[in-house]
Amino acid sequence: MVELLLDPNIRLWVFLPIVIITFLVGIVRHYVSIILSSQKKIELIQVQDSQVMIRARLLRENGKYLPRQSFAMRRHWFNNEETGYFKVQKRAATSQNPMTDPGMMTDMLKGNVTNVLPMIVIGGWINWMFSGFLTTKVPFPLTLRFKPMLQRGVELTHLDASWVSSASWYFLNVFGLRTIYALVLGENNAADQSKIMQEQMSGAAMAMPPDPKAAFKAEWEALEITEHKWALANVEADLLTTEK
Amino acid sequence: MSVTKGKDNKPEPIAYSEAALRNNAVVVEYCRTSMAALSGSTAGVLGLTGLYGFAFYVFAVVSLWVMFMLKTGPNWHKYYISRQSLLTNGFFGALFTYVLFWTFIYGMVHVY
Amino acid sequence: MSYNYEELSFDEARDLLRQWRESNERRSEEVVELWLTILSDGLDKIGNEKHVLLEQVIFAALDCHCYSVANNCIAILSNEFPGSLRVKRYQAARLEAEEKYTEAVMLLDKIVRADETNSAVYKRMIAIRKARGEIKQAIEDLVDYLKKFISDVEAWQELCELYLQMQDYSRAAYCAEELILHQPHNHLMHQRLADIRYTMGGIENMELAKSYYCQALKLNPDNMRALLGLFLTTNNLLNHYKSSGNSSKRKEVWKLCQWAQSQATKRQQAARAAPAAPGLSQMMLALAITE
Repeated sequence: MVELLLDPNIRLWVFLPIVIITFLVGIVRHYVSIILSSQKKIELIQVQDSQVMIRARLLRENGKYLPRQSFAMRRHWFNNEETGYFKVQKRAATSQNPMTDPGMMTDMLKGNVTNVLPMIVIGGWINWMFSGFLTTKVPFPLTLRFKPMLQRGVELTHLDASWVSSASWYFLNVFGLRTIYALVLGENNAADQSKIMQEQMSGAAMAMPPDPKAAFKAEWEALEITEHKWALANVEADLLTTEK
Repeated sequence: MSVTKGKDNKPEPIAYSEAALRNNAVVVEYCRTSMAALSGSTAGVLGLTGLYGFAFYVFAVVSLWVMFMLKTGPNWHKYYISRQSLLTNGFFGALFTYVLFWTFIYGMVHVY
Repeated sequence: MSYNYEELSFDEARDLLRQWRESNERRSEEVVELWLTILSDGLDKIGNEKHVLLEQVIFAALDCHCYSVANNCIAILSNEFPGSLRVKRYQAARLEAEEKYTEAVMLLDKIVRADETNSAVYKRMIAIRKARGEIKQAIEDLVDYLKKFISDVEAWQELCELYLQMQDYSRAAYCAEELILHQPHNHLMHQRLADIRYTMGGIENMELAKSYYCQALKLNPDNMRALLGLFLTTNNLLNHYKSSGNSSKRKEVWKLCQWAQSQATKRQQAARAAPAAPGLSQMMLALAITE
């Protein structure tokens, strides 16, 4: 394979600008999403549900520190057939359709405006502006499989796979800079769009408020099978042996 | 390095302060990202290619780990649950950053 | 640790306030003084931190009953955020500090109607009830509040205190158990429950008190109160087992009792030995000379 020679002007006018543009766009997106983000209005009932769930979980985990009777009393309060909290509380199964809730829809729209739109617009613009350049070469050999990934926009069959085209260089930057955003902007920043995209893919259910009915059922079951094991049974002996 | 500790040092069930653990993880992550970026740039400037570059990454990760160990001294269990996870966690996440910087600087210096 | 507040520069004062804010220190007088002498002139220089800092100053000023300072700060904030619920809460806090409780409650009611998930406001209302001495109503309100925010540790703690004031020990014990559920590694929680169980009396409660005192000591061996509590509890149990003739249990408890006693003596000796060197006696001497 003959070594390719690239025009140094490509470095100055294509390679570097892509890095800078990607980085700055990420930062701008961070601040725009801060401006657009709206305080979510929480329903009282939702707060109550989540607090009850926390308490039930704590009871399961730390119930061993309570005497048996106290533990049973609390479990009774949750699980009793007639009056138990998980039995009495009837929550409407909220299989919420986001289209019926205008507040949710604006939220989704805002999410799209700050995340997907810039990605498409900037990506498209870079594709158009810097199309067809080979920008750089990765310093390690790659197999042919990587060609479509790294050489988008350059269809040369005999080119070595480690050359990177401009469009691919942009995408490499988008995904590679996320840790740098964490460094620059702090944790939980909004510039990290790839994470958001992962969330969108992995299931919209995560972002939705979890269905309280199902959650209650699960917690009920978990509590039902929890056995009480008094953690302080041997504490006196421990104390006497460990501390002379 | 932040100074934090588990709540009690009694032998059997050791209780860790969750907020402190999280804070330590954030600090370590910060160090690791910086390390990846710096060592990536170094590899690019040096013009390492192929396996040498990856070996350099492993070297950087291990030396960062050694630095952590020197910093914490013999009381490392006060700060972390396990030393191994300190070495292995985020290995591949930081590798991505490393490769990006490596490619970037290598492209800037050696390709043209 | 003392500072000469006159000599601090602007940035130093700001950093000091930030440090106190983050570590939740109650240094109200110092905060107000710093605000009046240094910071109030350069409010625009502070930038992003301005509003948090104003909030800190407001509460500090109310703590010292410097109403004019608080009023000024609230005015600045309400100019900037008209209609903000958070600013309204400051106004309510001011009314509360001035003991204008009815007006404060009216204002808080308004906030609740606008945002019914605002737990801090509910808590303020309960605190007002407590300040007025209406313990019974306070308990009722607090129970209502806990129905909505069932895993609020502070609220459980407060309810525990209120029940103790009413001498309703079994309910207080329930609350203390709830605290243990939430913070099983805090030795003070175990000690509190043990205290309550000991006060309630009876064999079963004594046994429980013994266990919890032991747990508290295990989590923190320096907890003197738990040590003494353990000693008292075991003594009590010893008396009982002596009369009922349960010899195996008696032996166990006797061992524990001995242990507690020896530990307590050791502590006492250590405490007596320590200050003899530099501490108290020399200070007394110094005092004597100046007199």
